[in-house]
Amino acid sequence: MPGPPIFAPVKTALIASVLILLATYSFAQEADTLAPQQLEALVVTATRTERTMGALPMLVMVVPKMQIRTMGSLRLTEVLTEQTGLAVVPQVNGQGSGIQIQGLNPDYTLILLNGEPLIGRYTGSLELSRIAVGNIKQIEIVKGPSSSLYGSDALAGVVNIITERPDGTRGSFYSRYGTNQTLDLTADYGTTSGKWGFYVFGNRYSTHGYDLSPQNYGNTVSPFHSYTGSARISYSFSPRTELVLSGRYFREKQQYDFEVLTGNNEKILTTGDGITSDWNFNPVLTHRFNERTKVTARLYATHYQTETRLVNPATDTLYYTDDFRQSFLRPELNLEYFLGRQHDFTVGAGANLESVETMRYGDAITRHQETKYAFLQDEWTPMDRLNVIAGARYDYNTVYGSQLSPKLSLRYELGKHVALKASYGVGFKAPDFRQLYLNFNNSAAGGYSVLGTEVVEARLAQMDAQGLISGYLIDPALLGNLEAERSQAFNVGARADFFSKLVMDVNLFHNSINNLIETQAVAVTTANQTIYSYRNIKRVYTQGLEANLTYPLSRKISLSLGYQLLYAKDADVVDKVERGEVYWRDPVTLVTRRLQPDEYFGLYNRSRHMGNFKVFYNDPSGWEASARVIYRGPYGMGDIRGNIQGEVLPPSDINGNGILDTHDHFVSGYALVNLSLARVLRSGLRFQVGVDNLFDYTDPIYIPNIPGRLVYASVGFTFQKKNKSNVNP
Amino acid sequence: MLNNRFSLLVLGVAFITLSSCSKNDPAPVTVQSQTITNLPADPPSGGYDPMNGQPIGVTKKYTFFSFKTGAIVLNADSATANWDIGFNGTTILVNSGTSGPGTAGAQVVTGIFDELANAPTTGYLTDNKTTVPATYAIPKGSGNGWYNYNGATNVISPIAGRIIVVKTSEGKYAKMEILSYYKDSPVSPASTDVDRYYTFRYVYQSGTGTSFK
Repeated sequence: MPGPPIFAPVKTALIASVLILLATYSFAQEADTLAPQQLEALVVTATRTERTMGALPMLVMVVPKMQIRTMGSLRLTEVLTEQTGLAVVPQVNGQGSGIQIQGLNPDYTLILLNGEPLIGRYTGSLELSRIAVGNIKQIEIVKGPSSSLYGSDALAGVVNIITERPDGTRGSFYSRYGTNQTLDLTADYGTTSGKWGFYVFGNRYSTHGYDLSPQNYGNTVSPFHSYTGSARISYSFSPRTELVLSGRYFREKQQYDFEVLTGNNEKILTTGDGITSDWNFNPVLTHRFNERTKVTARLYATHYQTETRLVNPATDTLYYTDDFRQSFLRPELNLEYFLGRQHDFTVGAGANLESVETMRYGDAITRHQETKYAFLQDEWTPMDRLNVIAGARYDYNTVYGSQLSPKLSLRYELGKHVALKASYGVGFKAPDFRQLYLNFNNSAAGGYSVLGTEVVEARLAQMDAQGLISGYLIDPALLGNLEAERSQAFNVGARADFFSKLVMDVNLFHNSINNLIETQAVAVTTANQTIYSYRNIKRVYTQGLEANLTYPLSRKISLSLGYQLLYAKDADVVDKVERGEVYWRDPVTLVTRRLQPDEYFGLYNRSRHMGNFKVFYNDPSGWEASARVIYRGPYGMGDIRGNIQGEVLPPSDINGNGILDTHDHFVSGYALVNLSLARVLRSGLRFQVGVDNLFDYTDPIYIPNIPGRLVYASVGFTFQKKNKSNVNP
Repeated sequence: MLNNRFSLLVLGVAFITLSSCSKNDPAPVTVQSQTITNLPADPPSGGYDPMNGQPIGVTKKYTFFSFKTGAIVLNADSATANWDIGFNGTTILVNSGTSGPGTAGAQVVTGIFDELANAPTTGYLTDNKTTVPATYAIPKGSGNGWYNYNGATNVISPIAGRIIVVKTSEGKYAKMEILSYYKDSPVSPASTDVDRYYTFRYVYQSGTGTSFK
C-alpha cells in the first residue's frame, strides 16, 4: 500500500518545485501495461512522422491512454482541463467550453483528429465535449505556432487526438455510471490479419444534466445523449504502400427548457431541442519509393451541423430557431525526403474548401471560402547535440489574401542532463465566416446590429437610403478588407533531469497579435441603436512562464507538478495607462482616480496563476489510483453574454474604464480535487470508482460549466491476443 | 445620501441661494461642486420592444438643464438660450449649432474632475447634424464621448475620467462629470435596472474667468 513512505519525498519535491517553479509533462515514461515497454512517447503532431518527444525542439506534451484511463475521463474536456497551462473556458454565450492555451482564446488553438482539423466553431470555439476519449491512443499538445504543417487557427498551438490502431486482436467493453444519471457505454474491437487492419469503436453517452440555479426555470446543463461511432480500415498493398480509411460519425440531441427574457423584461418559458451532428471521412495513401522518399496523399471531408428549435408552449408557437451548417474538404499531398543523415525534408501542398450556411447571415446563401497552401519543413541535425526544425508555409485565400508563416525551432543539448529549446513562429487566424458575413440584429433591450465586413457596406447603404441611419461613428470607407490576424510567438525553455529521476521543464513564452479583429461601432440608427462591424484594430500580447516537474517516487508512484504564470494584456491599454490616461471610478463613493500601471490586470478570463499537482499510482499486480488537484486563480469576467439560465451576469468592470483592473470584481479562484481507484484482474476485468470535484465546488453564476461533485463507478473488460503484427511502413 | 430623486430640486434651490451671494461680482468666485441625481432623459414608460429593441413610450423630447439655475428648464423654453445642455437617452446636446438658438459650446476632456482647475479657453464645439457623419460637441457612440456601451450586457457606463466642459451662451464656464445613467446609481448596474436617469456632478463658475477653484 502506498502509505507513509510518500511523505518525505513529497515534501522534497514540493520544496524543490516551489523554489524553481517547475513541473511535468507527465507520464511520458510511464509504461503502458498493454503496450510494449516504451521509454519515451512518440509524437507525430510536430512533423507528421513519429519522433520521440524529448528530441523535438518544440514545446510538446503528451497524455497517453493509460493516464486517461486512470483518470476515469470520458470526454476530451475533462482530460484537457487537468493539463498545465490549459484552461477550459466557456464560449461567449456562456455555454459549452473551449480550450485556452498560453492565454489565447479557444479560437486560436487548432483541434485535430489524427492530424485533420475538427470543424464546428459555431460561436468561435470548438465544443470539446463532442469528443469521446475511449478510442484515443494519446493526446498530443504542441504549444506555440511552431509547426509548418498547420495553417490557420494554430496560433496558440495544436491539440492532436491520435486514435487507436490495431496491434493484434483486441476488444473491450466499458460502462460507467455516475452522478446526474450520467451513463457511458463504450465498446471497441480491433484486429489485424495479413495485410488488413481493422478497428471499430462505438460510444453512447447520456446525462440528465444538472441545475445549479434551481430557482430559475430550466437546467444549467440540459439533458442530452450522444452517439459516436468510428472505424478504421488499413490495407498494405506491399511493405511500401499502405491505404488507411477512417471515418467518424457523431450525433447529439439535447432537450432544452429555456427562460427567454424579452426586452420588456417579460419572461417566456420555452421548450425545445438542439441536434448537433458531424461526420468525417479520411482516406490516406502512403507510398515509400525508396529509403529516402515517402509520399502521402490524404483526403479529408467533414461536415458539421447544429439546429435549435424553441417553442413557446403557452401559445404553441415557434419562438426561436437557429441553424448552422459547415462543410470542409481538404486534399493534401506531401513528400518526405531524407537528404543524407542530416536533413529530413517535408514538402506539401493542399487546399481547403469550406462552406457555411446559417440563418444568422440574414439570407439562405451558402458562403464559400477557398484556401490553397504549400509548406516546406526541414528537420536538420547539423551535429549530435543540435537539432533544428525550420520551415515556412504559404496560404492563399481569395477573401483575406495570402499569408507567409516562417517558423524556426532549435534544441541544443548542453550536457547529458540539460537541453535548451527555443522557437520562433508566425501564426495566423483567418477571419471567420461570422466576421465576414454576419447580419445579426439583437432585439433585446438597447438593441444593436452586427454586420460582417463583406456585407456591411451594402447593408449600410441600404439602411441609409431608407433613412434609418442617424449618423456614422467612423468613415464607412475604413471598413472591409478584413485581414487574417497574425501572431508572433517566442518560446525559450530548458529541460533538465536530476539524479536521473526528477525531470524539470521550464518555458518562457511571448505571443503578440498586432491586428486582432475587434468589433467596431460604425453607425447609429435613428432608433439610437448602434451598428457594429469588425476591424483589425486591437493589439494584444500574452506572456509568462510554464513549468512542469515530474518525479517518479518509485516504479509505482509518480508525482507531478505544473504551473503557469500568465500576463495577457491589451497593448494599447498598457500604453494609455502608462501615459496616465486611464481612470477608475469607485462605484460606491463615485470618486474618480488615475489608474496606476500596476493596477491594470489585463484581458478578461485569464488567470494570473494556474497549477496542478498529481499523484498517480500503478501497481503491476492490478491496482491503479490517482489524486489530482487542479487550481485556477482569480480572473475577470468580461465578454461573456450571459449565463445560460438567464441570470444577469455582472461584468467584472465595475469602475467605468472598460478594462479589468485590480479594483474590479474578480471571479474567485478555485481548486478541484479529483480521485480515482481501479482494480484490474488477470481475466481482463477492470473495476473503477472515482470522484471528481471532491469538495463540491460550484459557482452557479460565473462558472456554470463546473458541475458539483461527481461520483462514478465503472466496469470494463478487455481481451486481447497478440498477432505477429505487420511492421508499419 | 443623494439617492433621493427629489434631491435635484433641493440642490437646485441650494445652488441658487449660493450663487446669488455673488451677484454683480465680476471676479471669479469660489465655486463648489454640486450633484444632480436622477435627471430623467426620456425614460421609456413601456420598457423596450422585444423585437427591435426600440424604447416604448418615449416622448423623444430632451430634458434641458441650465448650469446657472442648476435646474431643469421647461421644454417650452427649448427655442431659447435659457438652457445649456439637453439630455435624451445617451445623447447630450449643446445649445448652439443645429441643436438650439444659443451660442454655447462644449468639449470632452480627459482627467480628474477635481484636478481640472481651469476651463480650456479654446476648443469648444457645437452640434452639427447636417454633416456626414453628424458631429456632436459631446460625441455619440460607445467610447467616443462620455460612456461605454457593453454589447454583451447592454449596460451603459460613464467612462471614468471624462469631463465635459461647457461654455454657456453667457460665456460662463462649467465642468461636469457624469456618474451614472441608471436610476439611483446602482453600484453594479444591469440592463434590468431603470436607465435614462442621469446622475452627474458639476461646477459652475458664475463669475468671470475660467477658474474652477
